[in-house]
Amino acid sequence: MTDPKQSTTEAEAIEQAKQGHEAAFEVLYHLHKRRVYSLCLRMVSNPAQAEDLAQEAFLQLFRKIGTFRGESAFSTWLHRMTVNVVLMQLRKKGLPVVSLEETLEAEDEAPRKEFGTKDQRLTGSVDRLQLQRAIDRLPPGYRTVFVLHDVEGFEHNEIAQIVGCSIGNSKSQLHKARLKLRDYLKFMRAEKAKTG
Amino acid sequence: MTCSDVRRVLPEFLDGASEGAFPTDFETHVKSCPACSDLVSDLKLISSEARQLAATEEPAPRLWVRIAAELRAEGLIREPESPPTRPLLVPTSQPRRWSAWWLAPVAAALLAAGSYVVSHKPAPQVAKEQAPATPLTTPAPAPMTPAASPASVPTSAPALAPQQLAKKSAKASDVVASATAVEPEPSAEDQQFLSVVSTRAPSMRATYENQLKAVNAHIREVQAYLDRNPGDAEARQHLMDAYQQKALLYQIALDRIQ
Repeated sequence: MTDPKQSTTEAEAIEQAKQGHEAAFEVLYHLHKRRVYSLCLRMVSNPAQAEDLAQEAFLQLFRKIGTFRGESAFSTWLHRMTVNVVLMQLRKKGLPVVSLEETLEAEDEAPRKEFGTKDQRLTGSVDRLQLQRAIDRLPPGYRTVFVLHDVEGFEHNEIAQIVGCSIGNSKSQLHKARLKLRDYLKFMRAEKAKTG
Repeated sequence: MTCSDVRRVLPEFLDGASEGAFPTDFETHVKSCPACSDLVSDLKLISSEARQLAATEEPAPRLWVRIAAELRAEGLIREPESPPTRPLLVPTSQPRRWSAWWLAPVAAALLAAGSYVVSHKPAPQVAKEQAPATPLTTPAPAPMTPAASPASVPTSAPALAPQQLAKKSAKASDVVASATAVEPEPSAEDQQFLSVVSTRAPSMRATYENQLKAVNAHIREVQAYLDRNPGDAEARQHLMDAYQQKALLYQIALDRIQ
């Protein structure tokens, strides 16, 4: 839920930014920097690249701010712009935004490896750093869909539109990403138990 | 319903298909099958924990400096002819009532303390107790020299002589002790820093205060993780990054105040 006071501040800042006021740009930056940077970092798993991408996203935003008419929420607009900046970068680098080879896998997968048969459940909590590391290990296509859906809250139809895949493909990759993350987290837990 | 059936419809179930959309034997099977029950529970957990990752990362303070420089270069920032207020932390022509020179050594000390903490295992409790309570807030009262200017604040750990190391050890222990507490009071140097900002640019105090809180919370969080996992090199790097962010925050304030 958006704080009305913050909305007013943001709306005022948007109008002032259209006039080229530095203070207004800075207010908008500080309001959204964590969300934008976090999204970039989750998608590319590299702090230096994430910083460059966040910079590009904000610059695009500020260049186009004159065209913002308020039909959609400002944060949605910025968020979508950030995702596009990141995906464009991934495509430039030849990284798949959708895992084609993984998508073509048969639905009935081979039995999954289970770590620690006595303790199969992740039991109640997942360490944030470990989860982040597990996400970093995902193949780029899986990571994109997982981050967009489970971290950032996009719906499958939005992801399909942004990424350029079918809704079914998005759902399938999300599920496989979650299964892989479960395996990674269990593996990390087993490794940690071994090293004491 | 079999385990295979459950796994086939599980994605829809996890994506919140309305209640009743699933055959009752789905629930019945999940309740009676430990493997399926664990699977459903884990995937729900992963999904809900992932949501907590949104907006958790704080970019380095230099990011805004880079963006602002680019905006200026592109002519997107237009300087007002006579600004009615001075909302940002910008230099003034009025005589300086006091200097903020101390920010540079504090930033350097933060980096040194951070690099010590990340390159050494946490000091034993005994060492902490024996260490003199040397506060971080007493930088040597040296004048602002080019060597202490923000641009030259080191971004990597300086080599430390044994005596310096002992001093840093005490400082690092203080930092670690304060970092692990829950919502501790701001440290003396943070309070002094915010006091400078309040005086020179009151409208920016909240921003800097929030940034300090965020970076301090991040330091505490990573430190707590490191306490539980002392051999984790990647977490040590996270901690060093957090200290660098804090030092950069001081540097940027210094750049703008001077």
